[in-house]
Amino acid sequence: MCDPDGCTTVKSPPGGALAWTAVAFALAGFVVCLAAWLAGGGSIDIAWAPSLDLRLDFALDGLGALYALLATGIGTVVFAYGAAYLPLHLEHEGRPAAESRRFWLWMTLFMVSMVGLACARDLILLFVFFDLTAVASYFLIGFDRHRLEARGAALMALLVTGVSAVALLLGAVLLYDQYGTFSLPELFARARPGTNTAIAGALIAVAALAKSAQAPLHFWLPRAMAAPTPVSAYLHSAAMVAAGVLVLGRVHPLLALDQTVLDGLLVVGLVSIAVGGLLALVQDELKQILAHSTISQYGYVVVLYGIGGASGAAAAALYVVAHAIAKSALFMTAGAVTEATGESRLSHLGGLARRMPLLAAASGLAAATLAALPLTLGFFKDELFFGAARERGTTMAVMAVVAAALTFAYIARFWFGLFTGVRRTEPHAIPWLLVAPVVVLAAVALVGGFVVGPFAGLAGDAAAVTHGAPVDANPAYHLDARAVNVMAVAAWALGAAILLFARARDAVAGAAARLGDRFGPRRLYGASLRALNVYSDRLHDAEIRDLRNSIAAVLVPTGVLVALGVAFTPTRGSFTAGSIAAADLPILVLLVLCVAAAITVARDTGRLRPVLALSVLGFALAAVYAVVGAPDVALVAVLVETIFTLVFVGVFSRLPLPGRPATTAAPVGRRRRNVVAGIIAGGASFALIWSTLSRTSPNAGDARAQIARTREAHGGDVVTVILADFRGLDTMVEITVLAVAVIGVASLLHRGRNW
Amino acid sequence: MSDVIDLVAPRLLGPAVMVAAAIIVKGYTDVGDGFSAGVIVALAISLRYVAYGTEGAERSLPVLRHAPVVAACGLLLALAVGFFPVLAGEPPFTHHPGPGEHVIKIGTLELISAMAFDVGVFLLVCGMLVTLVHHLARLVEEADG
Repeated sequence: MCDPDGCTTVKSPPGGALAWTAVAFALAGFVVCLAAWLAGGGSIDIAWAPSLDLRLDFALDGLGALYALLATGIGTVVFAYGAAYLPLHLEHEGRPAAESRRFWLWMTLFMVSMVGLACARDLILLFVFFDLTAVASYFLIGFDRHRLEARGAALMALLVTGVSAVALLLGAVLLYDQYGTFSLPELFARARPGTNTAIAGALIAVAALAKSAQAPLHFWLPRAMAAPTPVSAYLHSAAMVAAGVLVLGRVHPLLALDQTVLDGLLVVGLVSIAVGGLLALVQDELKQILAHSTISQYGYVVVLYGIGGASGAAAAALYVVAHAIAKSALFMTAGAVTEATGESRLSHLGGLARRMPLLAAASGLAAATLAALPLTLGFFKDELFFGAARERGTTMAVMAVVAAALTFAYIARFWFGLFTGVRRTEPHAIPWLLVAPVVVLAAVALVGGFVVGPFAGLAGDAAAVTHGAPVDANPAYHLDARAVNVMAVAAWALGAAILLFARARDAVAGAAARLGDRFGPRRLYGASLRALNVYSDRLHDAEIRDLRNSIAAVLVPTGVLVALGVAFTPTRGSFTAGSIAAADLPILVLLVLCVAAAITVARDTGRLRPVLALSVLGFALAAVYAVVGAPDVALVAVLVETIFTLVFVGVFSRLPLPGRPATTAAPVGRRRRNVVAGIIAGGASFALIWSTLSRTSPNAGDARAQIARTREAHGGDVVTVILADFRGLDTMVEITVLAVAVIGVASLLHRGRNW
Repeated sequence: MSDVIDLVAPRLLGPAVMVAAAIIVKGYTDVGDGFSAGVIVALAISLRYVAYGTEGAERSLPVLRHAPVVAACGLLLALAVGFFPVLAGEPPFTHHPGPGEHVIKIGTLELISAMAFDVGVFLLVCGMLVTLVHHLARLVEEADG
């Protein structure tokens, strides 16, 4: 909660300072991760709620280090790019520069949750960080919130990745049910092949695949291109989509217990490669080409995890690194070109190499990395990819070559379309900071092409976590006609052919795109969202039609549920009636007062009288507590009743005055329904309270133990000690609920202003 | 009626704060806790709203506008007391001094960490209720005016 003034009057810090703080933070994170990794990694394991099996278990192992370094390293570069890009973007959109504040906070939160996700070794933690990235991405994709397109895209990304994340939770609970732990290392030790394990693995895989934009849940990613370019360059190349394959790599030993799950991954990955690759060939928008390329590229990684084994795991890890570096650079290239020319369509661009030579060279290197040309890091990613595919079989090897050819074709179309040929739009000068990050990433990719050792070492360590045994990944140049080299050459040749035969290419890819438009899952998403909206509107309209319905909507289902509970639990001895002694007379008098007040509330058609009768009811009950010897409860009841009455009267004075009393005009059918609803709700709560009051023995539950231990806790009043000590966590949660409720009231009444 | 409220409302805040303080001080050995204390102070403040109206109550007691901050501080204090033990490797809500250890006493006030938690609850409840009353009072006045 911020200072009451903070939201409105305090001058926001200049966007630039905040941006550079974020850059510095990301860089510091990168340095720390790198140093910690070089020092041998490490782990933290705090069992903060052992009785619930909840723990904070983080490990900077190979896999964690790889993704943490990606998130912070690419984060640093993209944040620096964003520092130059965002002010220009806000200016184009006609928005105040102060709005960048929100952007940087969400970006930083995203980075932190990505690092947390990378290091988490516990399924619940994994789920929490998984969803945190989804929430941050919602606000980042919808950053241009005045545009309907951006809001729809943000919602789509949140729904597709967030709803499927529930599958991850389901899988975690299934595994916990069978093996009694959420901790991944323990699960790896205990898990045995079986139907339950396979189902749990498949559920976790579904969540991961949706996050990595794999078919058929890939459709959110192209729409998410409504986000500002730095968001795409970060989330949609190296971070958010990488979170999915990260989870696959993390839980792979569980998935590998069942061959069907691995085969499923293989199929999904291959379909995604085909869908993404074909559609990337026909897109005209620069960012759309790259988005479809991302779908296809993560398809490679999923295929590699489907192949599994030491070679598959190592190839997947190196692939993620090489792709993230190249794709991030290409997204930033697209943003820089659009910023310079005001044009975002490939058909309206061309021949920029002479005007923007540095950008052309740098992004050429990035494109070469993606296309796996020699002298770049990309060559090795395909070398390992081909190697793993060949181990699997000839069919797989052929498909791998076709996939690589598609990649070569669409990325060559992208780069040549931008930088060669006829110049269709004149560029103007752009800040150097929009080009420098591309150069940095291209340099990294180039260095990786000569000194692949560190990258391969990191990938090998990551693969060791995935594979569950030490993995030795040593890609290198071999100047001979071995199979992987032949496959690489074949892929380039085929890719060049696809590039050259433009008419056949456009016909095939165009047909695929039309097919996707007509029958694709995106339609299903739209239809189900609309149907859900209609249904929810109907339900809502029925519920809020009048006060009667609003109350019945709460009380009747509750009554039915309680009645079911009473009907299905053994009730012997839970409904007893004791005797009434002379000493109980005060209680009886008070209860008669309660009944009278309750009848007044129900019968009186006035306004203030029912409210006052309600508070009489409350005070009489408080007095009953006092008489039966529960002074703490009585005190709280009196206080709450007082403030409740005050608030009730205050809110009631806001309601419009009634015309004529409505009850006289109520039709017979409705009155009959009222009676039925009243009987259900009243009867069920009566049964519930009676059964509760029938179990008044102090032996029940742990009451006796708590009374005995109150002295040890240095207390004299057992209720207070229970609230602050024995059940302190419950109290904490309850007061948090109070805080959230008041924030809710403030949002409804004064648009979230605290005062 | 109105005269009585006008007379009582301004004078009730002092005693109410005293009662709340007494409840907190005696809270761990006797009836009542931070929640009750917070509601009592909030009630006395609401009475001022009834007597003076929103404007008047907040002008006569400018400190009220910090209620959300007070509530936030209470929440943070309660969280801190609850979760600092985690850093020391203990379960959350482990209170100090533990069973059988010596407790520093000032009169009947025992200095134990559960007390700090209770103060956190008090600040949160008090701040939140005052914020709530402020919002509702403004709502009522807008309807009237």
